[in-house]
Amino acid sequence: MPETVLVVGGGPAGLEAARTVAQLGGRAVLVERRDVLGGTPDESHYAALTPNMGSAQEALDILRAGVRDPAIEVHLGARLSAFAGSAGDFTASVTGADGATTEVKAGAVVVATGFQHFDPGRETQMYGYYEHADVITLPDAEKMLSEHRFVRPSTGEPPRNVAFIQCVGSRDRRLGNDYCSKVCCGVASKEAIEIRRLLPDAKVYIFYIDMRMYGYWENEIYWPAQEQYNVNYIRGIVTEIVAKEGRLLMKGEDTTMGRPLEVLMDVIVLSVGMEPSRGTREVAALLGVEQNRFGFIATPGEPMDPVGTSVPGIFVAGAAAGPKDLEDTMGMAGSAAAKALAAARQAGVRTAGAVS
Amino acid sequence: MTLQARYADVPVETKQRLFDEVRADIRFKDYLFGCYECGICVAACPSARFYDFSPRKIAQATGREDLGMFYEQLNDDIWNCSQCFSCLRCPRGNNPGGLITIMREVAINNGLTSARQALEGYGRVVYKIMSTGTQVSPDMLQPNAFPDWGPHVAEISENLELWRRALPPETLHTTTTAWYVDDKTLTELYLIWHMTGVLDMIKEVDEGLHMILNDVMEELLEEAGYSTT
Amino acid sequence: MPIPLNVIEARRAQRDERGPTAPPTEDIREKVFELEAKGEWIVQRVPEPWVGVTTKYGRIKKIPAEHTWHHKSCGQCGHIPGYSTAIYWLNRALDFDYNDPKDQTSCTAWNYYASATSNVGAQAAVAMRNFGAAYESGYFPTIHCGTSYGHYKEVREELVAHAELRDEVRRICDKLGKPFVMPEEIVHYSEWVYAMRHEFAQRRVLDLSSIDVTVHPACHYHKLVVEDAIYDPDVYGGQRTAVVSAVVTALGANVKDYSTWFDCCGFGFRHILVQRDFTRSFATLRKIEVMREEANPDVVLTHDTGCVTTLDQSQFAARAHDVKVGVPVMSEAQFAALAMGAHPYRVCQLHWHNTEYRPLLEKMGIDWRERWREFEDDLERLRKGDKQFLTWEDADA
Repeated sequence: MPETVLVVGGGPAGLEAARTVAQLGGRAVLVERRDVLGGTPDESHYAALTPNMGSAQEALDILRAGVRDPAIEVHLGARLSAFAGSAGDFTASVTGADGATTEVKAGAVVVATGFQHFDPGRETQMYGYYEHADVITLPDAEKMLSEHRFVRPSTGEPPRNVAFIQCVGSRDRRLGNDYCSKVCCGVASKEAIEIRRLLPDAKVYIFYIDMRMYGYWENEIYWPAQEQYNVNYIRGIVTEIVAKEGRLLMKGEDTTMGRPLEVLMDVIVLSVGMEPSRGTREVAALLGVEQNRFGFIATPGEPMDPVGTSVPGIFVAGAAAGPKDLEDTMGMAGSAAAKALAAARQAGVRTAGAVS
Repeated sequence: MTLQARYADVPVETKQRLFDEVRADIRFKDYLFGCYECGICVAACPSARFYDFSPRKIAQATGREDLGMFYEQLNDDIWNCSQCFSCLRCPRGNNPGGLITIMREVAINNGLTSARQALEGYGRVVYKIMSTGTQVSPDMLQPNAFPDWGPHVAEISENLELWRRALPPETLHTTTTAWYVDDKTLTELYLIWHMTGVLDMIKEVDEGLHMILNDVMEELLEEAGYSTT
Repeated sequence: MPIPLNVIEARRAQRDERGPTAPPTEDIREKVFELEAKGEWIVQRVPEPWVGVTTKYGRIKKIPAEHTWHHKSCGQCGHIPGYSTAIYWLNRALDFDYNDPKDQTSCTAWNYYASATSNVGAQAAVAMRNFGAAYESGYFPTIHCGTSYGHYKEVREELVAHAELRDEVRRICDKLGKPFVMPEEIVHYSEWVYAMRHEFAQRRVLDLSSIDVTVHPACHYHKLVVEDAIYDPDVYGGQRTAVVSAVVTALGANVKDYSTWFDCCGFGFRHILVQRDFTRSFATLRKIEVMREEANPDVVLTHDTGCVTTLDQSQFAARAHDVKVGVPVMSEAQFAALAMGAHPYRVCQLHWHNTEYRPLLEKMGIDWRERWREFEDDLERLRKGDKQFLTWEDADA
């Protein structure tokens, strides 16, 4: 009797976790709130993945194919509505869009409910995302890039210049998001490259506090962005965006040159960071797993155990635990799947041989 | 920009002592966390556009305890700040404007010449607030005080007493104060200056002013039955 | 390429889908009440009736409609007394009970920000003494000046955070025989004008549909303690403080945008008195000239003493340098009063203002020549000694 692992969330983390559970001989029940699988990369229309520029949809299609397996039961348009039990013997209620509820028994759980992009209307710098159509976010840019175009939303015409502003909603004590969202420097640089490819005459700038592209991202993204694509990196963060002469005026300081700057831009892209998704908050409460002070699922065993939560038998994979890139996510998913299955099997052995 | 440090002749112990005074202020921990030198404070700062002034450098010098730069700023830069607090955009929660407020207090408390010089011409305002309970008054609208405001100031000044009587609110029928402040309130204000050591600060800025204020205040406090000891 | 017309609406819809997020900062009012529970101070409650307004992170702030203690502003009462008069007039127009105290001191923050000849203890004691006086009167403090307001918000933060400061100030208040009181809310008068704007709009007698307005937000109103300032999702998409702009719109005038909206006016506290080239240059080059070029307004409205003074007085000298200036400046309180038929001289006291305002009055449909004649008659009566002072009855005659 194969042990069952409940996987909550059908994004990259959940898909990889479910597939790995099946591959190791277990059974997975995958619950996804949307009507399609793919998670945030799909919902936010990711175009090319960082750093290799592979197609996001192609990568997701592979993951989707991976769960077309008799050992994996997929519930779309569904949410967890109730949860009880302990390691080896969890009972979850899964409610579909039609309101019908199914009971699922599982030996272990993998939470893969992911993140949401920071809402730039909330932050303390004044960027006017709900005032100026040409102020966009990284996902807004991804959407256009996935359609192989990049234009000013206000006119529909290609921009002559584009600026990225880093760390929007991250590294900010006034917001309570003290942490770094890890991927936005790489993603912004990747998008800058894509824009330069589409619009060879456009000037692209990235305004940053620190450029963070670790490991091979440095030489695969950062250096090419500067050396092959002439992306301009300016160290100094922008204080506000206002409208002027039909364009956007941004005020900043060019700190390495030590002087204030004011530049007119056609499009400004806000590099919005990660926050725990609504699903992550709701599922954490339902399952009784601890959250850290930012609302992400806490992983008390870090760094040696990045997937264990505060509840035995419940594991976490991907950005539900905090800012993660895809490599982290895929790694966590495999590890969480293996540990979940092991936990379910161990509990099953104990139950089988239990002396009451 | 000179490569030679200014104030090289001032002993390091002096600079350290002044820095320690700034750091000992109860607000210091609320005003300075870490600084990642992002420059948003400079971007927002009006003084940075007009002077060679940088709130970022204030935060950095204070954070690094760079005594040389700190002492230069204490003398040359802090009076350029317009105290608008646009620098509170800081994502780390730093308050460079607030650090400057503390630095200014330390400069005054230690009788720095630069502080006295910066406040030259300001004595009349200090006198006004200390002695009347309001910071400016109608009779300060004199053409020689505000020559660049144009002939309109002269018109006001000539008609002042009459125009002040032509104000419906009863508390505004004053010329030497902005509004009517009763004696008991004035006495309470003096007590506050006295009990918090502000009068000593004024002594550092302007001894003559301090003498006048002290006399005025002592008299009023005694009349009201408060002891100044 | 089709131009998407509803980009902003689509974004707002997405935002609603994602659901509300918790405010990122603590609510200091909770700490204020906790301290009351511990016996540290008395919290003066906002009296009924009050109007709820939203602040930056969606919290509700209580604005008292009446029974207010008017914490006056030095520069306002001293140099532009029509501003204060208009605030009282608006209260009287709504038949609201208010207190204009004689036992109020200046907040002293202008001096503090200019010269720093003070310290954290003195500043906090001045604030608490004023709050104590308000409490004794039974009226709830409402603050006329933007700097007083911002400064008192700072003082509240400092008193909540530092027990030794509370102890020092409590000792001083005890010696003064004043109760140690922190009000439930720190209220700026412009927040009251915002809360009452529909009442004013109903009583409007002038047609302001052809009046273009640029709004200047006071730095100390919205940059000090950023979470405690009015934000309205219907105004600027909730991205900038709505407090004055919403009033202008409610009165039927047109808010025009300009690219230095967030800039300080250049008051500088110390600079406007002893380093005036900075203030003058900043006000005219960064604010007035940009407003003229980009928005060409009929009037600049703001909600703070220093801002009105700076923007109004700096324009004269600039004319000598061919800088494009010449826009009248006043408070939104005076503007609202004019809209409701208040006398431009008896109430709004525009003769104290510097930049030419008469074309604006004409455009608003106000016969300023007749009004000035009436006022000159008043002055004559005062001169002759027939009356000692102009009264509120005279103001509305």
